[in-house]
Amino acid sequence: METKVGVFFCNCGGAIKNIDFDAALREVARLPGVISVNLDSSLCLEEGKERMVSSIRDEKMERVVVAGCSPLLKEHIFQGILEKAGLNKHLLSMANIREQCSWVHDGDVTAKAVDLVRMAINRVLLLQPVETKETAVSKEVLVAGSGFAALNVALQLSHLGLRTTVMEEGPVLRAGSEEPAAVYGVDASSIIAEVEANENVEVLTSARVMTLEGKVGGFGVRIKKAGKETFRRYGAIVLATGHRTEIVNPGAEAGASVVSQKAFTDILRNSSLEREPRTVGFILDFSDENSRFPTLATLNSALAAKKKWGSEIYVFYKSVKVDSEGVERLYQQARDSGVVFVKSETAPKIGVEDGRVKVEGRDVFAGEDLVLACDVLVAEELYLPAEGTETFSSLLNVRTDPKGFWQDDNVHLYPVGSEKKGIFFVGGCRGDLDPGRMLADISGVAMNIGELLSAGKVAADFERVKADPQKCVACLTCIRVCPHGAIQLVRVESSKDVAQISDLACDACGVCAAVCPAKAIAFQGYRDEEILAQIEAIKRS
Amino acid sequence: MENNNNVLVVGSGISGIASALELANAGVNVYLLEKEALVGGHSASFCCKATDICSQCSACVVSDKVKEAITDPRITVLTGSTIKRLRGEAGDFHVEVVRRPLYVNGERCIACGLCTGVCPTDPKAIHPPFAEALPFSFVLDDGLCLRIKGERCDLCRTSCPTGAIEFDLKAKEEELNVGAVIVATGFDVFDAREKGSLGYGRYPNVVTGLDLEHIFAREGYLRLPTDGSEPKNIAFIQCVGSRDEGHGYCSQVCCKYAMRLAGLIRYQNPDARVTIFYIDLQTAGKGFAQFYEKYRQDIRFVRGVPVEILQTASGELEVKFEDISRGRVSRDNFDLVVLSVGISPAKNSWDLARILGINLADDGFFDVKDPLSRNETNVEGVFLAGTCQGPKDIPDSIGHGIAAASKAMQVLAKPVGRGRAS
Repeated sequence: METKVGVFFCNCGGAIKNIDFDAALREVARLPGVISVNLDSSLCLEEGKERMVSSIRDEKMERVVVAGCSPLLKEHIFQGILEKAGLNKHLLSMANIREQCSWVHDGDVTAKAVDLVRMAINRVLLLQPVETKETAVSKEVLVAGSGFAALNVALQLSHLGLRTTVMEEGPVLRAGSEEPAAVYGVDASSIIAEVEANENVEVLTSARVMTLEGKVGGFGVRIKKAGKETFRRYGAIVLATGHRTEIVNPGAEAGASVVSQKAFTDILRNSSLEREPRTVGFILDFSDENSRFPTLATLNSALAAKKKWGSEIYVFYKSVKVDSEGVERLYQQARDSGVVFVKSETAPKIGVEDGRVKVEGRDVFAGEDLVLACDVLVAEELYLPAEGTETFSSLLNVRTDPKGFWQDDNVHLYPVGSEKKGIFFVGGCRGDLDPGRMLADISGVAMNIGELLSAGKVAADFERVKADPQKCVACLTCIRVCPHGAIQLVRVESSKDVAQISDLACDACGVCAAVCPAKAIAFQGYRDEEILAQIEAIKRS
Repeated sequence: MENNNNVLVVGSGISGIASALELANAGVNVYLLEKEALVGGHSASFCCKATDICSQCSACVVSDKVKEAITDPRITVLTGSTIKRLRGEAGDFHVEVVRRPLYVNGERCIACGLCTGVCPTDPKAIHPPFAEALPFSFVLDDGLCLRIKGERCDLCRTSCPTGAIEFDLKAKEEELNVGAVIVATGFDVFDAREKGSLGYGRYPNVVTGLDLEHIFAREGYLRLPTDGSEPKNIAFIQCVGSRDEGHGYCSQVCCKYAMRLAGLIRYQNPDARVTIFYIDLQTAGKGFAQFYEKYRQDIRFVRGVPVEILQTASGELEVKFEDISRGRVSRDNFDLVVLSVGISPAKNSWDLARILGINLADDGFFDVKDPLSRNETNVEGVFLAGTCQGPKDIPDSIGHGIAAASKAMQVLAKPVGRGRAS
């Protein structure tokens, strides 16, 4: 039996003037499958919606075409109408006779409008319903890393009723020994105690991830600890593996007097110098102009040294990175307290003279060369991804930004999200973060995971994108191009491997369907035959 | 007694929208309050700054999210609305809201455009909103409308096919019962007229960064405001309304928007020369290093912020600046000068702070309770999201908005009547 198509024209309150609707209606009514053609003036208003719902029900329509405005503006409204009338929302096709027809042409455009409707009818006849199905998900979360961000994420997730495993490769939790903790004087012992006392948080030290498989809701992870491997399932994974720093141009002959930021904060805290330094130098922002943290660390350390020792302090720098909260204030405070900022276009030369570190630079404001002998020089540092990031990212199949930090630099990714659903990043491992941004990350990741896993099940479109096991030749092309890691090979019929697309992980971007050489992948709504049928409708004989 | 499952989000810019969407996804009912007729705030009016590649300005993310928010069944959008009073406590707030008449009923307007066609004023008093604004309902500018000014014009109302235009409307009040409030009222752009010597408002070819965003968003290309010709020599002046006496902070967005806009200008017209005057360049941030490499080749960077701009007899703009590398005052002529205006606290902050009982910080933004918790205010159950707490770019505003949603969720999850005594 022929599929029953209902067509609804809308003249947009009379704003579509150059279409002869009577003629268009007559012509469309003759097309195969069309059981009813209606003209309305305001389908998207409440009264229009009601008229449409009752027409769909009364005339037992099986497919609907709306000829009116842009689907970008109103498609969701018409999909809602279909659902209200008891039809699957994917059985709708829109013909844009307003923005793409009436409003862009002068003169009568009835013929073009009818063509657009004919295309939509040909497509709608081939559309298939897509149902939504719920899948159970694990309410356990793996947090890789044990710094300030990692522990806070675990605690916040425990408040949402989710269990977490905090996994650290080293023998102890890292939160206490981090540079940010030292710079800000954050007391990590209380948070470590809180984590250890929390029954929803399990701590695994000296443990590593060996293999990882599966998808959001059910990642399978093999963890090795003390020579023993265990296999566990997690609904989501949070990477909080921090960063590392590397000194630029250490000036080998100057030896122990050239130190890192971290070493300098330790010196400040433990007073481990034989005598107090009279002059301290800092170098900032020449080799790496894209990091915020070195500015923060320098300002905090310079102020602390000024306060503790009353030393003369010189900061050689190109640009201070003041684009984080409170940093301009801190910069002002440092200048007010007598810290001297020497602005240069090029990095100063570092040498040694009479046992002290010699720094030669140029002050662009004074227009003079400057030679400084200092007791301690805090070297410029590069802010880099933590070791092991590369191996981990290939294990997880997630991309890094051009500097090698986790998380692709894609603006459409929310701050803590990755292109793979269920994998999140927090803190220094996704780029250098100041405390404000890190705190937002921590709460953000807890929110995202709470939404995803709290209910223990997730709803997703069922087989909206599907690979046909009969046609698939397991060439792996789709697996390589899928940006969301949603496709894997599964074994069917004892020896045949075929691609299988996870409904939960799929983002319905359609890339796999476009590249499949065997045309085995069908993306409902955009299948080849649906596109070809539209072209067929306007082919002139 | 059941937990209150409603949250009020005040302000529908990108951070308010991020909060609202997260909460709605978590099953919470959200009232999204907006004082203007349109949803989306500042960021919805920004232009795409892509050249042959995406420059990652994030402007496109906003329109997606705005659409998602206004179509979400759990989010009730209240446009033209402001808060009059807040009573109660965390978990059980009563909020009195005033809805002013907008004259165009968003639920009836079908955006057919017939009203604009008949409107007799120039520019038109009733017009379509800017491209990314939603709901896609027309807006009536009560400063231009003859009817509102007291004349007898009724042309748009009689032309409207759906009866969406109503003039005899009064302000309405309603009361909302919510468990938590998220304040996401955003910022005001620094008024460049306050720096009189830079000539904004006096010389038409001195524009602000926001003006330039709107020019590109509306026209797609850059022309001189005076004669419509293509500018060949353009200067950007950084830190206008940031990092000075009255603004002890960096606005965080201007260096990057200036470089991205400069990149766009150079892409459209490779012969154009662009100079950026700056104090310290803010080039940190995800993925920015790769763009900065290119901008360094394409743009002339001059250290120092000009203090004066004068228009010459031929209409060019003479910029007087301290040439630090040569140690003297220099002058240079440009056809167009863009003032990279910063983020200032919203002008109504003080009123809202008083109504909600929350504190303002020294710089005029809303204050946080504790430096290690940047969403929480001194009032339990009232949280901050986005630039009302301090300058942020689009991704940071989204991040802060999600974090605020997370804090609000924790209030809703608390058992009622316990643990709230303090």
